[in-house]
Amino acid sequence: MTRPSPQTARRLIGLSLLVLWEAIPRLGILPELFVPPLTKTLHVLWLDRAIYGAALLVTVSEVAVAMLIACGVGILLGAVVGGVAGIRKLMLPVFSSLYAVPMVILYPVFTAWFGIGSESKIVFGGVYGLFPVLLSTAAGIRVIDEQYLLAARSMGASLPQLIGRVIVPAAIPTVLAGLRLGGALTIIGVVFAEMLTSANGIGYLVTKNRTTLDSPRVFAAITVILAMAIVYDVAMRFVERRTLIWQSAGRREAATADLPEMPASAAA
Amino acid sequence: MQQLANVNALNAQALKPAVEIRGLSHVYAGRDGAVPALADIDLTVGAGRFVVIVGPSGCGKTSLLMMLAGLRAPSSGAILCDGRPIAQPDPSRVGVVFQEASLYPWLTAIENIEFPLALKHAPREERRQRAEAMLNLVGLAGFGSRYPHELSGGMKQRVSIARGLVQDPPVLLMDEPFAALDEQTRMTMGHELLRIWSQTAKTVVFITHSLTEAVYLADEVVVMSARPGRILDRVEIALPRPRTYQMMATDVFGRLRERIWGQIRTAP
Repeated sequence: MTRPSPQTARRLIGLSLLVLWEAIPRLGILPELFVPPLTKTLHVLWLDRAIYGAALLVTVSEVAVAMLIACGVGILLGAVVGGVAGIRKLMLPVFSSLYAVPMVILYPVFTAWFGIGSESKIVFGGVYGLFPVLLSTAAGIRVIDEQYLLAARSMGASLPQLIGRVIVPAAIPTVLAGLRLGGALTIIGVVFAEMLTSANGIGYLVTKNRTTLDSPRVFAAITVILAMAIVYDVAMRFVERRTLIWQSAGRREAATADLPEMPASAAA
Repeated sequence: MQQLANVNALNAQALKPAVEIRGLSHVYAGRDGAVPALADIDLTVGAGRFVVIVGPSGCGKTSLLMMLAGLRAPSSGAILCDGRPIAQPDPSRVGVVFQEASLYPWLTAIENIEFPLALKHAPREERRQRAEAMLNLVGLAGFGSRYPHELSGGMKQRVSIARGLVQDPPVLLMDEPFAALDEQTRMTMGHELLRIWSQTAKTVVFITHSLTEAVYLADEVVVMSARPGRILDRVEIALPRPRTYQMMATDVFGRLRERIWGQIRTAP
């Protein structure tokens, strides 16, 4: 028997988790209050599809605006911090430390400033996702090979050309990695904020149904959030693959041998 | 044949100079005050000559090349290229090929070669045409759509040479271009470079650590001292052209190599 490919193995593991999700409560290993069976969860999700759909729409639109903030501000600040040595020395330690601060403690402040509507969720999610984008953009720009810049200058590149044709493309892989992480954190931030204080969104449905011990509906909301996160990750992977085609294009056949050596007699 | 080469060399010297370095000195600010890097460099390179600069590590060879490329300004003295001073990089007068492949990994071989033309907003058609011609010249016809990581070390340096030559500058500067290559590839590339040089009639200023490479390639070897770098000796290489691998085994070759090695070994 041959070993299954990692992809097949991954799918098998996922499938068996779903089977376990159904089987464990059904067999009475865990009470349904702790883990409602998969089918039951999906059933209430279907029954309440209008509620969940509306909540998802709210959450997704909050996440979208928050991501715009996280990515836009993060890339901009990261570019400045990574590109300007003086500002980097001054600010990079500050941003690195801020990244380690649990942002959650600021959420009450945000609700005081922006109310308990969508605005506070957006700002919180945006700030939550901002730092990985900022830090990876700064790192991406800072680690650009000095040779790339030197070569471009020797070819007469102006500063805007240096930025547009060398620094930006050279930083894209690191920035995209930051966007993937930052976007995921933005989703977490928004959903978390909804769970804390809110009257709308998917996170709110988790909290609301938990207080009434309605496990299937809690799990239905969790399932929707999981699906949202997975869709985001898959989409980002796709974007990375398309953008970074030059990194993988060579796998088809990496040339290792040089052209055949010229016979010495040819020179004589 | 030998005489012919000598006559050629004399003629070349009589030709109008492609590069003139006059009274050049360079001091840079180190941790413990001013460090003299280059002192009293006077060097005239006739048009179409192949001049190789050798010297111990840290003798300022690379600094000198940076100044020739207009990437760094000397503390004092003047550098003329094609009769006019070099104040900033000018790829239409001076092409540069760097140590390690400084090709942009996100561009294909042909796009890398086009890069200097793209900086000048040359029309697309013209760009492609000239880049294709360069690709042919360096023996890489058909490899244009490969990304750098799909090319071997030798092929990457061929692309670098093509990029340095694409604007048809009279002078080509090369900073240890083959240092990262294995011995065999290095020999092949040296040979290829001489072929390209004889086809394009460029003036080449070439920096290397390898004395064999220096003698094999050069019309004249300029020997520099340790810091501060001065010109210790200028060795005329009167071997006939085209050069062959067999010449490396001759007494003349050995004596020339010995003479240069003697200078570097006893250099202060």
